Amino acid sequence: MKKGLLSILVLVSVLFLTVSCSKSSDSSGGSAKAQKITVWCWDPAFNIYSMKEAAKVYSEMHPEVTIEVVDIPENIEGKIEAGLQAGGAGLPDIALFQDYIIEKFIQNYPGSFVDLKAEGVDYSQFAQYKVAPMTEGDSVYGIPFDTGSTGFFLRSDLITEAGLNPEDYQKEMTWSEMIALGETIKAATGKPLIAYDNTSFDFLRIMVQSTGTQFFKDDGSVNYNTPAVKNSIAILEELHSKGLLYMAEGWNNWIAAFNGSEAAGFMNALWIIGTLKTQPDLSGKWMVVPTPLVEGVAGARNASNNGGSSWYVFSSTKNKDVAVDFLKSTWAGTSDEALEFYNTILKGAGAMGTFLPSRGGSNYTAPDDFFYKSQAVYEDFSEWMAEVPVMYYTPNYLAMRTALNNALQNMFAGNLKSIDDVIAAAEAEYKQVTGN
Amino acid sequence: MKKSSSYHRYLNRTGWRFITPAMILYIVFMLYPIMYSLFLVTQKWRGMSREFVGLGNFVRMAQDQIFWKALSHNFIFMLIQIPLMVFLAMILAVILNQGIRRFRGLFRTVYFLPCVTSLVAYSVLFRILLQSNGLLNNLMLNLHLIDTPIGWLNNPFWAKVTIILALTWRWTGYNMVFFLVGLQNIDSEIYEAAEVDGASKIRQFFNITLPLLIPVILFSMVTSTNGTMQLFDEPNILTNEGGPANATMTVALYIYRQAFVLNSDFGYASALSYVMVLVAGVLAFIQIKVLKERK
Amino acid sequence: MAMVRRRLSPAKFILMIFFVAGAVISLFPFIWMVIGTTQNPNDVVMGKLAIGDQFMKNWEWINKTYSVLLFFWNSFKIAIVTVGLGIVINALAAFGFEKYPSKGRDRVFGILLLTLIIPQMAIVIPMFRQIASMRLLNTHTAIILPSVMSVFIIFFLRQNFKMFPTEIMEAARVDGAGETRIFFSIVVPAMKATFASASIYMFLMQWNSYLWPLMTILSDEMKTLPIAMSSIMRMYTIEYGGLMILVCISTFPILILFLAMQRQFVQGLMGSVK
Repeated sequence: MKKGLLSILVLVSVLFLTVSCSKSSDSSGGSAKAQKITVWCWDPAFNIYSMKEAAKVYSEMHPEVTIEVVDIPENIEGKIEAGLQAGGAGLPDIALFQDYIIEKFIQNYPGSFVDLKAEGVDYSQFAQYKVAPMTEGDSVYGIPFDTGSTGFFLRSDLITEAGLNPEDYQKEMTWSEMIALGETIKAATGKPLIAYDNTSFDFLRIMVQSTGTQFFKDDGSVNYNTPAVKNSIAILEELHSKGLLYMAEGWNNWIAAFNGSEAAGFMNALWIIGTLKTQPDLSGKWMVVPTPLVEGVAGARNASNNGGSSWYVFSSTKNKDVAVDFLKSTWAGTSDEALEFYNTILKGAGAMGTFLPSRGGSNYTAPDDFFYKSQAVYEDFSEWMAEVPVMYYTPNYLAMRTALNNALQNMFAGNLKSIDDVIAAAEAEYKQVTGN
Repeated sequence: MKKSSSYHRYLNRTGWRFITPAMILYIVFMLYPIMYSLFLVTQKWRGMSREFVGLGNFVRMAQDQIFWKALSHNFIFMLIQIPLMVFLAMILAVILNQGIRRFRGLFRTVYFLPCVTSLVAYSVLFRILLQSNGLLNNLMLNLHLIDTPIGWLNNPFWAKVTIILALTWRWTGYNMVFFLVGLQNIDSEIYEAAEVDGASKIRQFFNITLPLLIPVILFSMVTSTNGTMQLFDEPNILTNEGGPANATMTVALYIYRQAFVLNSDFGYASALSYVMVLVAGVLAFIQIKVLKERK
Repeated sequence: MAMVRRRLSPAKFILMIFFVAGAVISLFPFIWMVIGTTQNPNDVVMGKLAIGDQFMKNWEWINKTYSVLLFFWNSFKIAIVTVGLGIVINALAAFGFEKYPSKGRDRVFGILLLTLIIPQMAIVIPMFRQIASMRLLNTHTAIILPSVMSVFIIFFLRQNFKMFPTEIMEAARVDGAGETRIFFSIVVPAMKATFASASIYMFLMQWNSYLWPLMTILSDEMKTLPIAMSSIMRMYTIEYGGLMILVCISTFPILILFLAMQRQFVQGLMGSVK
């Protein structure tokens, strides 16, 4: 009986293998047809949803073109890198890249992306901070997608509980003002001001980008030793020593902290709104104010960015014209359909584009009942977006970020006493990890 | 029995025939990649551009304190977690086998289950359980075992303890099953004879059970050592990419980060891999030597 | 002995409590993930243990977002084909190594064992090139073929074949049986439990495998369950309730498989620790 079972198993296996082999040859034969565009991205509720909406718009205009949007979870970069190493094997026509990673690809894989400026995209229509990292010389390689425009999220009910009027704080503030507010709230309610994710670099990044200072020098070497970095760390240190930080240990814990009312606020980008809304009990309590100003740094603003990604066309594509035309007429299109598309994805996915003409859409200006006094948060975020200073990432952004964040963690743990120590430790780790 | 040389040749040919399919797969999917990565070791790799650096990657490794830190963590986990787990697995098996035979099958099953859990569920759950205001700290605070919450995930010392606990949770039952199997292989008449001689349970354990379990202990040790050398999942997901501040960084995780996250430097990552394989090989060699001597 | 066992002495009672506590700790994640399927995402991150009323909502979300049934089928197909091919190929190899001893093959086996300690991620890049040049990217064959041969399984089976008496093989030869027939009609039936253990083990490894499928799958209809789970973890707004449903769907088949075959599984381990 066991022998029978075994032979059946083998038979079935062989059958399957032949079937899946023949399937593969089918699909490679089919890809010769020019009218199918494949796109890689990763979040079904966010950028996949958005890309599918764009595909719908384009299909109306060009029914002969089908656009397949593929969900590539985790480490899409690793996979693309493997594909580029193998001479373009398996790569799609279009892929979404995190803004912080793209400079690595543009520099390490020259010629792998289609120059879209040469294809006639008008980049003056996009938020400039998005365009800069995808530019090299006269070439611009991407179509900007979403903004990570940041704000400071505050619990109006706790401000009221501290005897203050929330509306007095819906303005541009400096960090000293924010710290003073935090101390009052803490004294009255016992809650720390900020839910801070100790494992993440987001907070410091938001602060430093708001000053317009770069993490890297022009020659690409790391540049921690700047007033922007030092002042930002000093602010964090002060927040910490005054007990205004609720130290969360990673993403889950951080979400649990602000949704569980462990702190009076936090600072991050607009894409967190979806997560906020998973706690309907807090409806009507949250408000968003501009990113606080880092004092003592020339060029600092009340606006910054965290996250965001953009679309790129691979040079290896066989459908370059269709792919470029698709992006141009949807994501960079000024037709009514294209602008309405931006309006749709803002409501449907909370994805705010960086295409400036789209900002007039009805969903941008709509009041949102989830927020305190129905604040039209998207209108505010889109206004701040236009102010975001440019940040360059270079190929070594991740190593830079990890090293500095590790040093910060050591500071909070009490192992590094002064800001200079933090910077020296970060520099040392960066050198070892990158080997330069 | 025919013992002619042509018969020997026939058997020898059959032997090669039997291993051929596996060897073809081995050459294509193991040996070739390994050989290729031998070439990578000599390269400094940035995207399309590669530069021959000879032994440069090893020089760089010698100066890379994070690598040495990671290696030392591997050894810490190996030296503390493996003996702890193997001891625990053995004790549990012995008690189940002799002390409480009731529900033995049930306990065996239940204790084995953690090693089949999906990694995603396991890591999300442990992170939620172990956070400062998580269930475990709250329980211990309520029982007055501790005064202040323990930073299971964000204190460099306790994060290592967390890894050790998580590994123990996941693999003790797995090893226990091997011990149970080993115990079943021991003839019960030996114990009955010892009982007649008036030997206490503890004496029975040290004089009969322990010596007979040595093959199982070594099996557990060797497989666990290999597993710990390649330790990756727990520090990556549970303590957030080897955090806090590299306190739980391991060599395998560092290789992954060098190759796929930080630098895309496959040359350096390959060089790190070879050193890791070398260390694991030396450890396996020592253990096998011990095994042979014991036998 | 038998008399003593009937009564539960205080010492045994304490031991029993200890064991039950251990069982609860072992089972906790399974209970938790079932509860999680009924909660809203926020309750999951807060570590609440109460059963919620969001199951239908989570269920609809997961079905709207992913082709769960297809992913399940893909995972199953890949695992079963890997086991089917792998068990035969590895068993033949193990048998060849163990029952047809020669110096040459012993050396080959030594090399195999050495490569057991090479981490997968060290060879992923060359492997990817290999698969790409064979034009196998985005096929399930690309996931199956590299995991069919397993040094660990060959090692495991070889240990077990040591228990099989060579005299029986010789007797069969006298009766005129060929070597392949000896293997399939005498050895295989006699070692059912060993094959069961090895099969379960291989199934488990392939069912949960992640890094390699992640590299080679390039389209939605080829995906497996672990890939879908990690996809959820990367969202801006993580739907933990839906994630827990996927986790359950991917865990419970393994549990059932193990529960159904645990007798054979445990028996099959016998040879490996002798």
